[in-house]
Amino acid sequence: MSIFILILGLVLGAPIAFAILLSLGIFMEFAPAPYHARIVAAEVFRGLNSFPLLAIPLFILAGEVMNASGITHRIIAFSIVIVGRLRAGLALVNIWASVVFAGLSGSAIADTSAIGRVFVPEMEKAGYPRDFAAALTAASSVIGPIIPPSIPVIIYALTVTGVSVPALFLGGVGPGILLAIALSAYVMLTIRRIRPGAATDRAAYDAIPAKFGAILGGFLPLMMPVFVVGSIILGVVTPTEAAAFAVGYALVLGGLIYREVNWRDLPRIFSESMRDSAVILIIMAAVSAGNWLLTYNRIPNMLTDWVMGNIDSTTVFLLMVIVLFLVVGLFLEGIAAMLVLVPILHPIAVSMGVDPTHFGIIVIFNLMIGLITPPLGLCLFVAEGVAKVGMGPLIKRIMPFFLVEVLVLFIITFVPQTVTFLPRALGF
Amino acid sequence: MLERLHRYLSAAFAFGAGLCMAGIFAIVLVNSLRRYFLGRSWPWGEELPVYLAIYGVMFGIALATMQERHIAFRVLTDFLKPGLQRIAALIVDLMTLVVGILLARSGLMLIESRGGRDASGLVTTMRGLSREYDMAWIATLGTLGPWQFALVLGGGMLALAAFVQLLRRLFAPLPVVTP
Amino acid sequence: QTIRFGHVDPAEWTSSKKGAAAEVFKMLVEGESDLTVELFPAGSLGNENELIEQAQEGLTQVVMVSGAMSRVCRAAQVLDVPFTFADATVAWSVLDGPFGDELAEHCLEESGLRTLAYGETGVRHFTNNTREVRNPSDMEGLKFRVQPIPLYVEMVNALGAEPTPVPWTEVPNALATGLVDGQENPVGVIYGNNLHQLQKHLTLSGHVYATDFLVINDEFFQSLSEQEQAVVARAATVAGTVGRAIQQFNSAQGLSAMASEGVTVYAPTAEELGQFRELAQPAVLEWLREELGDDAEWIDRLQAALDS
Ligand code: NA
Ligand code: NA
Repeated sequence: MSIFILILGLVLGAPIAFAILLSLGIFMEFAPAPYHARIVAAEVFRGLNSFPLLAIPLFILAGEVMNASGITHRIIAFSIVIVGRLRAGLALVNIWASVVFAGLSGSAIADTSAIGRVFVPEMEKAGYPRDFAAALTAASSVIGPIIPPSIPVIIYALTVTGVSVPALFLGGVGPGILLAIALSAYVMLTIRRIRPGAATDRAAYDAIPAKFGAILGGFLPLMMPVFVVGSIILGVVTPTEAAAFAVGYALVLGGLIYREVNWRDLPRIFSESMRDSAVILIIMAAVSAGNWLLTYNRIPNMLTDWVMGNIDSTTVFLLMVIVLFLVVGLFLEGIAAMLVLVPILHPIAVSMGVDPTHFGIIVIFNLMIGLITPPLGLCLFVAEGVAKVGMGPLIKRIMPFFLVEVLVLFIITFVPQTVTFLPRALGF
Repeated sequence: MLERLHRYLSAAFAFGAGLCMAGIFAIVLVNSLRRYFLGRSWPWGEELPVYLAIYGVMFGIALATMQERHIAFRVLTDFLKPGLQRIAALIVDLMTLVVGILLARSGLMLIESRGGRDASGLVTTMRGLSREYDMAWIATLGTLGPWQFALVLGGGMLALAAFVQLLRRLFAPLPVVTP
Repeated sequence: QTIRFGHVDPAEWTSSKKGAAAEVFKMLVEGESDLTVELFPAGSLGNENELIEQAQEGLTQVVMVSGAMSRVCRAAQVLDVPFTFADATVAWSVLDGPFGDELAEHCLEESGLRTLAYGETGVRHFTNNTREVRNPSDMEGLKFRVQPIPLYVEMVNALGAEPTPVPWTEVPNALATGLVDGQENPVGVIYGNNLHQLQKHLTLSGHVYATDFLVINDEFFQSLSEQEQAVVARAATVAGTVGRAIQQFNSAQGLSAMASEGVTVYAPTAEELGQFRELAQPAVLEWLREELGDDAEWIDRLQAALDS
């Protein structure tokens, strides 16, 4: 009965959190003792009652303040000066602006909408097909949550014991940059086919009057991840507090230095940040309540025992994890997938000798690819909303990028040093 | 009339959500600055922002329901004809309404059984304040009840939001919004 | 019938006191009765506060918790008064004697949870990264991570250091980054979580003896046959003892390993311990008497038990 309600809710397009809560609530109403209707509220309260969880609304708030501070066009101008004159310059700008933007925001969706809105028209002007520009924006925005700060990283560290946020933050830097390089290489190699004819990217570069000023304008936002991660590593703050500092940094940068934050907008920014966080946090609370019921009936134990009894090669296990998360990523929102599967898979990975930080980054990278895969890819939706090119052409354009990203995923999975080098070097 | 109700309620939910967000930010920031520079931190500096976040989530989910901003699985409904889509959306509104009622009821039961427990980071401060100002109700802020009440309020607001959406969908053909 | 047994320590019995206690309990009960015992280690059903609530509701039947017991039976806090027990063996004789029985009876009335046996989390000591702490004046200005529990905040304050509440999951990070200079925990916990790799100095202050409570939902206990009750009670007593033994073993092992891995270990003299006690105990007692109200008599009862 409860399972039926859960599936019915999901199929009809009910919010994932409410589908879970409804089926759980009805189960608790009617199941015999010791189950009790009160358990739903108790578990939701428990799921939300956590200090490290506050990093999520705070990082979302930091991203929103950044967005409102006119920072996006500064990042783009900065990137144009740096890579704009290269082959496929504007496509590279799209990718590397996402790398810089990644350091400000913990979510890929913010990146897609911010960069897409400003930059898709710009690329179209230079002769790129609009659907290609939209697809590239979505594909490169996946870098956002891989390079710190990152909301999925915070959630991952909350779901399992034995991995720290700073280690995962540092672990994401290598894969994030690797992904940017791979996407860049792909567009440089295929530019002829993407944009036949003689159009060039020079115009955008020439349109920037003060090159040095543009570099300076990009410098302060570039310092934000250094500031955030640095203050955690130096022990000034915990990751949660670092998120509050990031908001402070964004307010000072946008409000006092750039003077582009309209202080009247702040109430709206605060309430929208809380709303967007609530949408994620309620899923986390609902899944944690559901997980409690599963654990209580020892279902994760059974799954774990089965995997441990049937799979003895680490390589096979990691391949299985990749395929599982890619398939799950087609249909499920990344955070919900992580909350359900990570508590089961992480302990198995660790017992097989996989480095916990490495495994965490594999999973996060894997699920972030899900943001651009149809049918449910949030970045795809946002890119479509911004570019209005239609889902069909967009999906066709995104396929090669998807393959490039899977290739990078394989590299970071089977060459662990790409992930663990930086955290190791800094003593994590 | 319905649209005006929708606007006022949304504004109220947004106000609550924004207030909680601002409180979380201010307390976490000031508390970590205090600890770094003065070597002292408020005993309630961790718990209060967490409870504010619980209230904030409750305002936030009601607001997101009003604005159809929740994360949902819309693969199948996207392929439906508009008429069927509307029916699916109506059923979802009903489901959300029930979730709100269940959550509020469950929250009341929770308060009844465990609301008197101490909220460990707050209890000493609140008892102190209660003695200082000779107001007994302050001491109850040191227990879990007032914070668990977030779920009751949240369930109520969610049910209200879903009800308004349901009526709007019934009486006015709302456009289906995909976030 | 099924007994669900929850605790927050790892499952592995050789390195986990509650894990060992739970395993022994399961084997004895299943061997000697028709009851089934399902173990939920590592906080898989929730943290200690939640476990104890679930036990009160009968969702779980047996839980083994330490600090959380005082959330449902405030009098249990008297065991945490610093420098109460000269060493673990003193604590054992008090807890296994009439005082322990009376406290268990009181807590049963308060919470509906029957204390079947006392185990031990260990004797807590200070570690830090800044300097060797021999007496309270060496603590001046150091930031110590404490559990977010008022009693510990009061104690560290009274010793002249700066208490900083940090959630357990953030402790390694807080020590690694220097957010705090030190922390306090039993040796087994410090070594088992590799905190010693982040700390240079250990002072065997033994400031708090931390008890484990192995409790059962009394309604469930009463529903068992007399014979089953006897089996469960005996198994719990053995489990508590095994828990203490494993805890002592892990502590002894950890202490020598830490010393050989380069942590400086300082055992304060009786005089220095006296200085610690004189600062910490009165401050905590003053706070606790007010906090406990009517239950403050348990402070005196414990004192009487120690004197006899
Ligand atoms: Na990021
Ligand atoms: Na997807």
